[in-house]
Amino acid sequence: MPRFAMVIDQERCVGCQSCTVACKSEWDVPNGFARTRVRQTGVVGSFPKLTTSFYVSQCNHCDRPTCVPACPTGATYQDKTGIVRVNRDLCIGCGACVAACPYGARYVNAKIGKVDKCDFCASRLENGLQPACVATCPAHAKVFGNLEDSSSEAFQLVYRQGAHRVETTQVAIGPNVYYAGKPEHTELLMAGFAPQLPRTIAPGKIWSSLLNKFVFLAVGATFLGQAVAFFRQLSVGEKQFED
Amino acid sequence: MSKITRRGFLQASSTLASLTTAGVAAAESHPPSWRGDTRVEQIATNCEMCFWRCGVMAEVADGKVLKLQGNPHHPLTKGQLCARGNAGTQLLYDPDRLKYPMIRTGKRGEGKFQRASWNEALDLFASRLKDLKQKYGAESVGFFPHGVAAGFFGTLMKAYGTPNAAEPAFAQCRGPRDVGYQLTFGRAVNSPEPIDLEEAKAIVLIGSHIGENVFTSQVTNFIAGLQGGAKLIVVDPRFSTAASKADWWLPIKPGTDLALLLAWMNVLISENLYDNEYISQYATGMKELEEHVKQFPPEWAEPITEISAAQIRDTAHAMAEAKPAVAIHPGRHVTWYGDDTQRARAMAILTALLGAYGRKGGMFLPTKVKQGRIPLPSFPESERGRADGAGSKYPLATEESQGLTQGLVQATLTANPYPIKGWVVYGQSVLESIPQRQNTLKAIEQLEFMAVVDVLPVEQVNYADIVLPEATYLERYDPPHIVTTAKRPYVAVRQPAIEPLYESKPGWWIAKQMASRLGLSDYFPWKDPDDHLSRLIQPLGINLAELKSLGAVAFDGHPYIDDRTEADGPVFPTQSGKIELFSSVLKDLKFDPLPQFTAVEPPPQGYLRLIYGRAPMHSFSRSENNSWLNDLMPENQVWVHTQIAAKFGVQDGQRIILENQDGAKSLPIAVRATEAIRSDCAYMVHGFGAQGQGLTKAYKKGASDTQLITRVAIDPIMGATGMRVNFVRVLSADGERS
Repeated sequence: MPRFAMVIDQERCVGCQSCTVACKSEWDVPNGFARTRVRQTGVVGSFPKLTTSFYVSQCNHCDRPTCVPACPTGATYQDKTGIVRVNRDLCIGCGACVAACPYGARYVNAKIGKVDKCDFCASRLENGLQPACVATCPAHAKVFGNLEDSSSEAFQLVYRQGAHRVETTQVAIGPNVYYAGKPEHTELLMAGFAPQLPRTIAPGKIWSSLLNKFVFLAVGATFLGQAVAFFRQLSVGEKQFED
Repeated sequence: MSKITRRGFLQASSTLASLTTAGVAAAESHPPSWRGDTRVEQIATNCEMCFWRCGVMAEVADGKVLKLQGNPHHPLTKGQLCARGNAGTQLLYDPDRLKYPMIRTGKRGEGKFQRASWNEALDLFASRLKDLKQKYGAESVGFFPHGVAAGFFGTLMKAYGTPNAAEPAFAQCRGPRDVGYQLTFGRAVNSPEPIDLEEAKAIVLIGSHIGENVFTSQVTNFIAGLQGGAKLIVVDPRFSTAASKADWWLPIKPGTDLALLLAWMNVLISENLYDNEYISQYATGMKELEEHVKQFPPEWAEPITEISAAQIRDTAHAMAEAKPAVAIHPGRHVTWYGDDTQRARAMAILTALLGAYGRKGGMFLPTKVKQGRIPLPSFPESERGRADGAGSKYPLATEESQGLTQGLVQATLTANPYPIKGWVVYGQSVLESIPQRQNTLKAIEQLEFMAVVDVLPVEQVNYADIVLPEATYLERYDPPHIVTTAKRPYVAVRQPAIEPLYESKPGWWIAKQMASRLGLSDYFPWKDPDDHLSRLIQPLGINLAELKSLGAVAFDGHPYIDDRTEADGPVFPTQSGKIELFSSVLKDLKFDPLPQFTAVEPPPQGYLRLIYGRAPMHSFSRSENNSWLNDLMPENQVWVHTQIAAKFGVQDGQRIILENQDGAKSLPIAVRATEAIRSDCAYMVHGFGAQGQGLTKAYKKGASDTQLITRVAIDPIMGATGMRVNFVRVLSADGERS
């Protein structure tokens, strides 16, 4: 079974936002939100000794995702390849997973009343295509691949060239988006974008969000989804990955 | 909401079956549900969100463009698209688009129109052109084109009898560069720039901000070059993205680049580090150059440029070490200080000293492609000649140049050398791209007739008598894009992905319709786009259907001197057949035959020099209304150094108004107080502060540098308008000086 990962090469990235828009176009992401985005880190130092970089963020498809247990309906799950996905049929748009994500990678898509986030373009992968952000990147700064395949570029970058995860001692949930770059780039990422301890959402809020027009569908889905997630968990088991 | 989502959503919510197998089957119903659907057609075309024309695959179903992707078959851009290219659908489906022909009813500038049929509008347009020709002669009509589709209208205007066409691409952009390289190597640089970044061992950027200025393949090759170990030297008063990747960032004092270039030459020659063999084989004028640059050691340049002599030496040595694989980017928008042709000459000479022209890792040579010709009747010759000064007052703005826009504005204002009474503006934003907009507005007021053909209601539309809605690049056929300045030359096709929306029409159709009304149909002797295209590609021996399905076809190239054959023609098509380090052409015209540094006017006390550039998600003033791009960057900021911001008493993020030396004020703009810029200049991204109220998303968002460019320094050699000669100070947002 493949184990998918994304490596972002900060030395290559020019911050052009091609990935952001390709993703928006592929997934019809509403304005003001993104499944992947690019932010400039701070500019540190004083003129003319300066350093800066870009932080490309998206769902990290963590080994031990905090969003999956936070989901009350089982809509958020991790598939066999490690991709963390949202089953829209089960999602009630409550936002518990949004609050639970230490990377701010999720949002509630108001157009459809569901949570949305990067799924490594699973539907493109199924059709033999690279994720939209990877395919469009003029700098070839995003490398998508299988960490079980030692010949993949992603494997090389992660296990041979020291691409690293953005995590802290408090938040170490095994993100599968890796960053390759100089030590000063890493420092800039950690200074500006270290993961935040997940927030939890009051159960009352979740239940109140059920009182919408999808209430019957959603309640049914919750039970079904949780049942399915439970049986999946039994059959798949929890796979722990080593760095 | 697009069809994709609706369809995806319907599927997602259609059956309970997907729920019972939740987690597996339901995942398949994620949008885009059309991914992998064989009914989705892939139409190959090329992009026009900027002028790089990357290969695009439009994914189309039911007459709707679902998504644009890069075309992997495209020989130059190989499947990559930038933010703008990916957002092309938001131009196509921009609700603000011009939708039908309009005829002005209110006062000029008031923006009051009545809707007209194409027949009414075109009949009126043709009759006004006939009147002008009868009253003042055909030359009295100025033509302001931009973009490939304007080429058809260009043919029409030439056939009508006016030589007065001018594009900002020349006098407001890359003209000085092309003239400077033409003088030195016998060949203009052209577009895309034949710069061998991917093979370079040293890359030199002078003001070029690759990364913020994005042309996909140029970014690809730039990064490939750096990853291959090329040393990067960036000369820029601002800490650009490129500077952040540089081995040497030289934060030069604005306006002194020529001094740096002369000092670099001095080091290469005085330390005998240049490519002697190459120079003795291919160049003339070395003795004069050597004598000339003796005067300019790094110690001379240090106080001028504010770059230390040691750094000048170090960087010259880095270039020498990498020679001939040194890619000195010739730049693109280079109309800065009025001595720009000379600066381009200096860059060309430096390239030559390093033996880099026609060599791997330097600049490569174009390869000719046998393009088909459609024989046309000869065009009428004007006895009065051009009105813009190209070829006369400015001798090296040649007939093949794209004219001097500001020269046409001046001629309109002064009726000198003869009256200009009508303007036809096609795809160009005259109020945003031509500096000194106070003159442009005054000239427009004096016109008897003005027609605008455009996709969006940009400001100038308000002033037009007739407005014609053009189809976007995704809805039309354009002439084939034949590119010789790629390592492998290629021909690429632009074809409609869908039928034009609303009542918009493609450029070829508009021109052909006008031709028939003006009795000029002989100049359009082809039936339809397919006929036009097949005749132009006929000698290339490629199949039309194949070209249309792949989008582009490449041929063998001969990019380096060693690859050249007889058929490629001379390597250096100058008069002497050699690289002209010393330019006898310039000498004969009484210009400096070797580049000289002249000091530019410094900012007055309390003012900063206004410089400007690009952002990767916008193209000039043409993309700010694009919903997705606007979402990414709705307005620009003005960068000022932290200490300067403190001195003006403004905070990072505070909105202020800028005022230039002539009292011109900007719209409110947010301050970016940063260490990433020198303290003698202020920087903003060009293209914001739109004044066309029909642009609902871009209207009055951010500030326009053009509004602050009330002065220009004209290049005496070829007439370009140097625009970095304006100075601004910070007023607080209520217009009071801080």
